[in-house]
Amino acid sequence: MAESSSAPAPRPSGGLARSSAVTMDAIEAITELEELERTYQRLCDEERETESQLEALVSQQSNIESKMQALQRMGPNLQLIEGDASQLSGMISFTCSLAENVSSKVRQLGISQSRLLSFPTSPFFFLYPLSLSLCAGSAVDASLSLLKEAEQRLKTLVRERLDQAIKAGDLAQVERFFKIFPLLGLHEQGLARFAQYLCSQLASKAEENLLLAVGGELSERRAALVFADTLTLLLEGIARVIETHQPIVETYYGPGRLYMLIKHLQGECDRQAEKVVDKFIQQRDYHRKFQIVQNSMMRTAATERIEPRDLDPVLLEVTMMNARAELYLRFLRRRVTADFEVGDGTAPESTVQEHQQSLEKLLKHCLLSRNMQELIGYYIPMEEYYMRETVNKAVAMDTYEKGQLTSSMVDDCFYIVKKCIGRALSSSSIDCLCAMINHSTSVLESDFREVLYNKLRQGFPATTLQDIQRGVSSAVSLMQSSLQQGKFNTMGIESSEEAKTSFLVTLNNVEVCSENIMTLKLNLENDCAKLFNQGFGGGEQARAKIESCLSDLVSVSSKFKDLLQEGLTELNNTAIKPQVKPWVSSFLSISHNIEEEDFNEYEANDPWVQQFVVNLEQLMAEFKAGLSPVIYDILTSLMTSLIALELEKIVFKCTFSRLGGLQFDKELRSLVAYLTTVTTWTIRDKFARLTQMATILNLERVTEILDYWGPNSGPLTWRLTPAEVRQVLALRIDFRSEDIKRLRL
Amino acid sequence: MSMEDYDYLFKIVLIGNAGVGKTCLVRRFTQGLFPPGQGATIGVDFMIKTVEIKGEKVKLQIWDTAGQERFRSITQSYYRSANALILTYDITCEESFRCLPEWLREIEQYANNKVVTVLVGNKIDLAEKREVTRPKAEEFAEAQNMHYLETSAKESDNVEKLFLDLAVELIREAKQNTLLNNVASPVPGEGKSINYLNCCSFN
Repeated sequence: MAESSSAPAPRPSGGLARSSAVTMDAIEAITELEELERTYQRLCDEERETESQLEALVSQQSNIESKMQALQRMGPNLQLIEGDASQLSGMISFTCSLAENVSSKVRQLGISQSRLLSFPTSPFFFLYPLSLSLCAGSAVDASLSLLKEAEQRLKTLVRERLDQAIKAGDLAQVERFFKIFPLLGLHEQGLARFAQYLCSQLASKAEENLLLAVGGELSERRAALVFADTLTLLLEGIARVIETHQPIVETYYGPGRLYMLIKHLQGECDRQAEKVVDKFIQQRDYHRKFQIVQNSMMRTAATERIEPRDLDPVLLEVTMMNARAELYLRFLRRRVTADFEVGDGTAPESTVQEHQQSLEKLLKHCLLSRNMQELIGYYIPMEEYYMRETVNKAVAMDTYEKGQLTSSMVDDCFYIVKKCIGRALSSSSIDCLCAMINHSTSVLESDFREVLYNKLRQGFPATTLQDIQRGVSSAVSLMQSSLQQGKFNTMGIESSEEAKTSFLVTLNNVEVCSENIMTLKLNLENDCAKLFNQGFGGGEQARAKIESCLSDLVSVSSKFKDLLQEGLTELNNTAIKPQVKPWVSSFLSISHNIEEEDFNEYEANDPWVQQFVVNLEQLMAEFKAGLSPVIYDILTSLMTSLIALELEKIVFKCTFSRLGGLQFDKELRSLVAYLTTVTTWTIRDKFARLTQMATILNLERVTEILDYWGPNSGPLTWRLTPAEVRQVLALRIDFRSEDIKRLRL
Repeated sequence: MSMEDYDYLFKIVLIGNAGVGKTCLVRRFTQGLFPPGQGATIGVDFMIKTVEIKGEKVKLQIWDTAGQERFRSITQSYYRSANALILTYDITCEESFRCLPEWLREIEQYANNKVVTVLVGNKIDLAEKREVTRPKAEEFAEAQNMHYLETSAKESDNVEKLFLDLAVELIREAKQNTLLNNVASPVPGEGKSINYLNCCSFN
């Protein structure tokens, strides 16, 4: 190393082997020992430094060797790449020649159209995009344009052939060319043309059917529903077409395309359905009928009226038409939704929603739907008219048969309401059903309830002198109400007996109405549940609508209940109170300030309670026979309350001896025992105060009350206030008032 | 009926020409949104919103009706049970204003006479397209004894106010009615004896 560092030639600085900073000349020129030592020292330092640099270099050797080895290993790989590259080049030239080949075939194709039919199975369609991306040469350009030209020609050709097949009505050919369209990327055109074919088929069939319907000779039963039947044929025909051709569309066009086909078909459906509807309107005089009904309901001086019965067939036919349309639209919804579900499996949410919306729009706003909505729009007022008029007729023809509780109009009226709502329900239109429930509510609440209310207002004829005056005022009010209605009630009240029966029958009618409404509501709920289970209606919203309309209907039931209570109050006031009051008052004329002898006499010949019970029995017999058990029970309950109240008032006006108190206790027990047998209501409660009064009147001495009062009352709850207890004690002539005053209650 | 948690239940029915924004008003109030490109309503729809007014829970059942002529007979069947009607027109559409008398005739014919009617001019966000002036509408409403309010379902202007004011009005009327009924109960015969019915409770 010393040599290298002592090499005379100066080396360029930098690099690993720097020349020593000390030259040989300089060393030789040194004369001083001190300087020589210093130089030696410097050289030694330089040597150390150089050595360490050398060591570092040597340590890098293995690293470099391994890198070299790696380079050598890459040699064969490079050879492989070279081979691949030449292969690729071969492929490219092959593809080019293939493209050329294809072009020549296309040229041949242009010449020989007859060989067209073998094309759909040939894979060449899929090659031209490949050549497009690979070849850039001018020959390829030429081929490409040729290909494109050929493609255009092919498309035109297929279109032409399909159109020809459609024209010829050749289903096999139509389907054959229909299948080619999606291969050319012409899905929409293919579906449109195919639909056009199907539509032409549908149209000719539909026209034929309509012609038969209008001109054909039909049995009377068939004739009444001929337009509903014709519409059914049309819709079923379309459904069948869809069912038949859905597989071919699915197979060759893929899922999610059914909507397109149905959209086209719906256009024809709309056209044909409108023809049926127009003929229906024309032949059934639908609009004129509606106009007549409208005029009669507006209460303008209607010159022309229509017999409700005459509307029956047309109302039935309309609801049937709508039901068929709903069924058909439900079919479309189901099919398209299922097809979209498959097609949109991986589509974004927005696409799914867009598809749903377009389906909804198609179904709800198609001409078929609009036509049906219009028919139903006319149907509802006509059905309402039918219901009102027929209910009025049932009221006018009301008859009552002896032995029956109710009269004919209740059953008749509910039969009619049920029929009308049932018919609306059979249309499968929820809005139509709701509208008729609303009208039923109105007819029952206003029209029909009004009739029953007016009958009750005529009152229950009274028999006593003072009540004859009431009877007169009833008759006056009857006259007034008849005049208000614009007609005299021919049924009128001819005798008081008849008036009585009429009142009781009306009460029964009212009660049955309130029950019938509940039954009607329950039945409708069941019917609607069935409808929803079949998939009609449109879910929660429809359910909620019906529920709301039904709850309005139910509220009418409680209005009938209110009316029943008003009627019973009237009956209690006019027929029971005037009789019962004097019977109770007669208690006053029976002395209860009695001795042993009188007591025994009373024992042998009951002075009051037996006759009272007999009177009550006679009084109530009429009501028991004439009223339904439920109403009779309410009436007896009213009566017992009345008796308890009146008797209490009377007792406070009496005086009692010890035995008189015992006598009253016996009388009260007999009365309560009797009343218990005539009513299912518990009457013990109503007589609690009287029973406690009897207990007090039966005491031996004044202070004995304390055995029953306060802490000693046991299970007994006093209904009398301390003041009242003193008041009752004072009724006993043998109790001293000082003793009563002294009592601490 | 069920024991639901509310003090009052009112039925409000929106009526008026097609396209004046009835559905948008209802949706804005009940759901707080303005659905653009709303398709025409088919038949009737209803939505519920419960609001609290002075501590009382008021359930509003809001019926949104189709404005198109062919649904008229369906919507008419809801008038009778309505506590309030919101007669809506579009301030940018003179035609919808001109039709109001026709709607009033319908109300006259089908609604119960105690119904509260409010006239609403909707779409005030389209002020530059206004065709019906405010004074003109106010004058009309006054002549017909109706409240009048201008709204924008889009900008949510006055929509809350419309329904809440109506609720307040309906509560006021309901309270007045119960008061009247308690004072004089029209019972046939001797009205006073209704007490008997109260002391023995059937049902």
